[in-house]
Amino acid sequence: MQKTLYLFANGRLYRKDNTICVEGEKERKYFPVESIRDIYVFGEVDLNKKFIEFAEDKEIILHFFGYYGNYVGTFYPREHYNSGYIILRQAEHYLDSTKRLDLAKRFVQGAVANIVQVLKYYQNRGKDLESYLYAISLLEESVSSVSSVEELMALEGNIRRYYYESFNTILDDTPFILKNRSKRPPTDPLNALISFGNSLVYTKILTEIYKTHLDPRIGYFHTTNFRRFTLNLDVAEIFKPIYADRVLFTLLNKNVIKEDDFENQGGVFLLKERGRRLYVQEFEDKLRTTFYHRRLKRNVSYQTLIRLELYKIEKHLIGEELYEPFVSRW
Amino acid sequence: MDLLSTLFSLEEELSKVIGSYVQAFFICPRQVWLMSRQVCPDEDNIFLQIGRLIQKQAYSRERKEVHIEHLALDMIKRGEKTLVIAEVKKTSKAIEAARMQLAFYLYELKNMGIEAEGELLFPEERKKEILILTPEWEGKVEKVKQEILELINQPLPPSPHRGRYCSKCAYAEFCWA
Ligand code: SF4
Repeated sequence: MQKTLYLFANGRLYRKDNTICVEGEKERKYFPVESIRDIYVFGEVDLNKKFIEFAEDKEIILHFFGYYGNYVGTFYPREHYNSGYIILRQAEHYLDSTKRLDLAKRFVQGAVANIVQVLKYYQNRGKDLESYLYAISLLEESVSSVSSVEELMALEGNIRRYYYESFNTILDDTPFILKNRSKRPPTDPLNALISFGNSLVYTKILTEIYKTHLDPRIGYFHTTNFRRFTLNLDVAEIFKPIYADRVLFTLLNKNVIKEDDFENQGGVFLLKERGRRLYVQEFEDKLRTTFYHRRLKRNVSYQTLIRLELYKIEKHLIGEELYEPFVSRW
Repeated sequence: MDLLSTLFSLEEELSKVIGSYVQAFFICPRQVWLMSRQVCPDEDNIFLQIGRLIQKQAYSRERKEVHIEHLALDMIKRGEKTLVIAEVKKTSKAIEAARMQLAFYLYELKNMGIEAEGELLFPEERKKEILILTPEWEGKVEKVKQEILELINQPLPPSPHRGRYCSKCAYAEFCWA
């Protein structure tokens, strides 16, 4: 029902009565505040405290991105769904190392299962990914037997290395090549695109966490320091392959985003505005797509699916049902 | 949030019964357990929004929610002999639950030394029902309060059961995720 507002151009963002006003160089647009769930700010946008207070009051989340399309931070309004009970459980599962490791493994297992689904999808479309699938399946078996989160991190890192290497096979009809995964700063277009997609997933999940009783600062796989958001990074492990990477492959294989959509700034690559718009469009299309949910007995969107995943985590924390991550079937 | 104070407020929460638990108890005990932990449903839920809208619009002139200790009364009026407390509902589908909730309010008020009569209002259906706290109602209320206390002190919520309320229940996404 509610929408995400993406601001690419430079301009001003302010409150006008009960609407959100976006003022660019050429035009001015008004959005009823109830219709907006979150706002992504990419451009050089001016906003004032009055607007922040408005966002706080209306429970609108603001995600800010820098010049390179890099994630800068989030304005996360005061929690509105407060359940002391859930927070206690969340802390309990963090402090108890067995419980923490168990949850962390579940996130990694979900991530690997979805990675495998992505690879199988392209395998069925004629890409020779057998060796990657084999290598990953071997590593996958060890996930259940690691004895610490650090070991799990290392194992997951190895799996990801194979996975990212496979991008070159999946994208062999395109001019794009991934030499090494380099996050900050991205040193080639593909890295820029991966990072961009990942940060969209991280922030989307954060937006959905806001609608639940979970505290985003307590994560299990990613290290918590109670100051940064980490739970969304954990949950993103599961969704990145199907939400971000699939979008990336579609856009590049169909030649929608091209080499000249990137700018090289002294070895650092960034996606230009046109590319960002195209990416976001494809990403939003994906989130709006619906499918039949058997337990809920109705159609749900991929956006809602994130929320359902968070509810499953809450049920795990309560002790009601062990968390089984969502695994894509297509 | 300070975890220690959270812990204490949680203990307090699990030691008292409030009106909304009584109402929910008859619809689905699972709801009550979740409510007692403030695992409230997502407010985007369309049925919740409609319910809230009706509550806001109906009787907007005389309507003021009144809080007395742990009770949140929809409306208080001066009757001929006693006070009248009214409870507004969207539909009469769960009328038994609504009656029990109102009886619970009357019972709790009586224990505070306040005598009152009850009115159930269904603005959409233009229906109204009077409820007087009889000894029989008192017995029922006591029994329900006991059952609810036992329920919320269980370590786990009752499992979800698919019933006729699920399809419009705001907890459905949580239950069937
Ligand atoms: S969805 Fe069904 S089982 Fe769950 S709380 Fe609502 S009525 Fe109860």
